[in-house]
Amino acid sequence: MMTDSFLIVVALAGLVTLALKCAFIEGQQYFKLPPWFTESLEFVPPAVLCALVIPGIFQGDVGLVSAFGSVGVDPKPIAACIAAITFFATKKTIPTLIIGMVSLYAVYWLQF
Amino acid sequence: MLPLLPGIVPFGLIAGFTPVSFRYTWIDSIMGSLLMFAGASQLAAYQLMDEGASLWVILMTVAAINLRYVLYSASIAPYLTHANRTSRLLAGYGLTDQIYAVCQRDYPTHDWNLNERLAYYGGGTLVLWLLWQLCTLAGALIGQVIPVFWSLEFMIPLTFLALALNTLKTNAHRVTALTASVVSFLGLELPYNFGLMFGGLLGILAGVLYKRFSG
Repeated sequence: MMTDSFLIVVALAGLVTLALKCAFIEGQQYFKLPPWFTESLEFVPPAVLCALVIPGIFQGDVGLVSAFGSVGVDPKPIAACIAAITFFATKKTIPTLIIGMVSLYAVYWLQF
Repeated sequence: MLPLLPGIVPFGLIAGFTPVSFRYTWIDSIMGSLLMFAGASQLAAYQLMDEGASLWVILMTVAAINLRYVLYSASIAPYLTHANRTSRLLAGYGLTDQIYAVCQRDYPTHDWNLNERLAYYGGGTLVLWLLWQLCTLAGALIGQVIPVFWSLEFMIPLTFLALALNTLKTNAHRVTALTASVVSFLGLELPYNFGLMFGGLLGILAGVLYKRFSG
């Protein structure tokens, strides 16, 4: 693994992305979007993003754990909850990221 | 366009240091941003590579996150119909949420010819592209000196969390998010990232059905 496979994956992912971005700029005379497709498109971001968040929060160990050892309760889900509350309170991304990270450190060290 | 630029700085930095935090090189980070040039899907691809997901899962997820570009592309295309192929391909590569936002606002209200529209699109995209690449480079270089225990890789799920919460505009979107989260959670132990796939698909289905039957 490492650089070679990384580059192959991002190159292929880049091609997929380019195909989607060019879909209509290139091919507008050839096809139309079916209505069911357009209708479901607005639900793709919340669905995919949530489905990605869950493993990021509940699986694997953060660098803190690999550096200093594990603690009783995984700090990730708690930090994510605090981050979510921050987002609802501020509607801003950067405070959400900062408070989420600070919470992660805090919940880890409280149990250390 | 300018007011939209600061927002991409933290994402660019995260897109830059994430591959480095997963032990890839800073050149890999740059190549990711050059070849993909699509922030959220870059982060998803990196996270899935780190989880050891298979290639098709990574490509499907990238495609799902970037599906919105098909819609953008459909809405912008009539304004760029007669541009030459190179311009159209460059416009496609450079398509972003930000340039779409300004073009769909300004194209219908200005009486521009094709060259003016291309110049508007190209100028905005070039600035955004340069800023994204510079932020990626900065993030990648910073990432090389930040120790592992900072746990900066946790910023990926946090970023997705903020992006996801930002999409919860209607009850149908909330139903989608809840369904996707629950299914993805129940499917955490499934092989081949089936939890992610089922979560995404059932979430979309739940949103469509809710919208259809709630009025």
